Amino acid sequence: MNKTININLAGIIFHLDEVAYEKFKTYLSNVKTALGKEESGEEIIADIEARIAEIFNLRMKETGAQVVGLADVEFIIETLGQPEAFIDESENEAPKSSSKQTRRFFRNPDEKVIGGVCSGIGAYFDIDPVWIRVLFLILLFFTGIGFITYVILWASIPEAKTTAQKLQMRGEAVNLNNIEKLFTKVEDYTSTEKIKSGVNSFVSFIVNGIGSIFSFIFKFIGVLLAIAGAMIAFTLIVALLGIFGSTWNLDGLNFISLNGYIYGLDGAEAIFGSGWRLLALRAGTLLTLLLPLFALVVFLAKIFGRELTNSKLLSFSGIASFIVGLILIFISAGSLITDFRERATETDQITLSGMSFDITADILEDEQGFFFDVEDELLHIENVRFNIEATRSSTASLELKHAASGRNHSEARARAQSFDYPTAQEGEALRLSEYFTVPKESLYRGQDLKVTLRLPVGATVYLDESIENIMYDIRNVQDMYDGDMLGHQWEMTPEGLSCTDCATIEYYDADDFEESIEENLEEMEESIEEKLEALELELKKLKDR
Amino acid sequence: MKIENTKAQMRKGVLEYCILGILSNGDAYASDIIERLKGAELIVVEGTLYPLLTRLKNADLLEYRWEESNAGPPRKYYSLSAQGRAFQLELKGTWENLNNAVEQLTSTPS
Repeated sequence: MNKTININLAGIIFHLDEVAYEKFKTYLSNVKTALGKEESGEEIIADIEARIAEIFNLRMKETGAQVVGLADVEFIIETLGQPEAFIDESENEAPKSSSKQTRRFFRNPDEKVIGGVCSGIGAYFDIDPVWIRVLFLILLFFTGIGFITYVILWASIPEAKTTAQKLQMRGEAVNLNNIEKLFTKVEDYTSTEKIKSGVNSFVSFIVNGIGSIFSFIFKFIGVLLAIAGAMIAFTLIVALLGIFGSTWNLDGLNFISLNGYIYGLDGAEAIFGSGWRLLALRAGTLLTLLLPLFALVVFLAKIFGRELTNSKLLSFSGIASFIVGLILIFISAGSLITDFRERATETDQITLSGMSFDITADILEDEQGFFFDVEDELLHIENVRFNIEATRSSTASLELKHAASGRNHSEARARAQSFDYPTAQEGEALRLSEYFTVPKESLYRGQDLKVTLRLPVGATVYLDESIENIMYDIRNVQDMYDGDMLGHQWEMTPEGLSCTDCATIEYYDADDFEESIEENLEEMEESIEEKLEALELELKKLKDR
Repeated sequence: MKIENTKAQMRKGVLEYCILGILSNGDAYASDIIERLKGAELIVVEGTLYPLLTRLKNADLLEYRWEESNAGPPRKYYSLSAQGRAFQLELKGTWENLNNAVEQLTSTPS
């Protein structure tokens, strides 16, 4: 049993068997492509179709057959001839000028793995799509950008559906030779594959690989610029959403990757807890990001020439999701305000022994440029301010004043009491820390810590470089900035700290000073030499007389 | 230079004149014109003729009317327009001159 296909030619129905149909379809589409550029192409095609119908009709009558077979189609082709012959080249300048076809981006449906994006790019650059796929996989595993780029390209690049588009994709002119090549390519492919199977294929593979890498690099630079432009546009939009973005770790768009997702939890979870607020915030952030994403798709689709049938729906849903996202974020953030209503302060006093101190601070390693950091179920908060004041008492002491906010006073108080500040004294060494920790569950609710070292007059202290980050406007007789106070020995006086090892020269940069002296010396030498020369000249003149 | 190309170009040059010539002796279907041209070995395949007929028609040298056919769909029945007739006569003169000139130039000098 053979399948037949019905076609309508000039108003007459013919039954073609499958083989005949395939051949006929190809032939007729070639004819149409050949004549499509003619002035009255459609009329000519109609004439030809009528003629074909006439011939089919006659042959059916002669043989009494019901179905048009391959022989009939071959007879048609023989009688009418190959479509190349139809066009008089001398009268048709148009196809020649269009033979310089510019390439266009299309997705390649014939060699696709997922959406045909990679093979389309490969066709555009004339390189094996495998390389593009490798690149995308690398991008996917290392940053996650590969995934989002792929989705955006998939949505915005049109698929090459017609033969003409498939030729444009490869930058070949839409003419009959190329169309025929495209149709016979499938067979060529398998035969060349067989030849390649020898040892030679390995060599040619390497050579081709190197060649294509070079051509890839050149062409890729151009496209890279375009993509960079789009990326900049994208990040600009994201930057506008910075307030919400800061709840994620937007460092290098890393929030998309798994890695970034886990890091990003720290900041958001520390503020929003792990309940519905965090969920609402995260969903809201994602929804607001859809709008720029859709905008990018629409923008790129315009560039790549894809007609988005549902671009209205796209922009509507983009805006809608943006609004819903904003509402979610505001609800989530708004509900936090009540958590900051009351504030409580707790003060601890630690008595220190001795009159001489060497102050250092523990620095929080593995910083993510963030205010806080979650580690071992503890929230590390870097919000410590350190000051040194004089006291009338005869012993030195350390005051820790921790403050926190809460929904009500008792909650704020409980939170302020749950501080843990690592500090220790060992002989003269007084170790502070630039962070304090609170249990993860107590969340970030504006906790801060003021550390005050109270020294009796006459006590001495050495300030190590490590305390730079926590120093807060320490009063001193020399009126030096905090940063300049580091690395020096200080003594408490009734007027405040006074530096005991700061030479006045220290106000200048030693190197600069030395240099300026050298310069002065050189200038003096030069002027002396000049004067000497002038004197010698005058002496000569006098002698000549 | 390929001899085939030159031959094809020579044929192409006179093809329009021949179509007008056939039609000056009476109206005809496209398939009739094709038969005559094929017989004279001026064309090999039919496909060539359809674009040419349409061009001549668009240039107002030809007219056509539809005729029912029992062999299939209706056919175009071509005839010369008044303009086409004048065109054909002028080409006829040109052809005769050309023919003489070629004859004189290529024949062995007596």
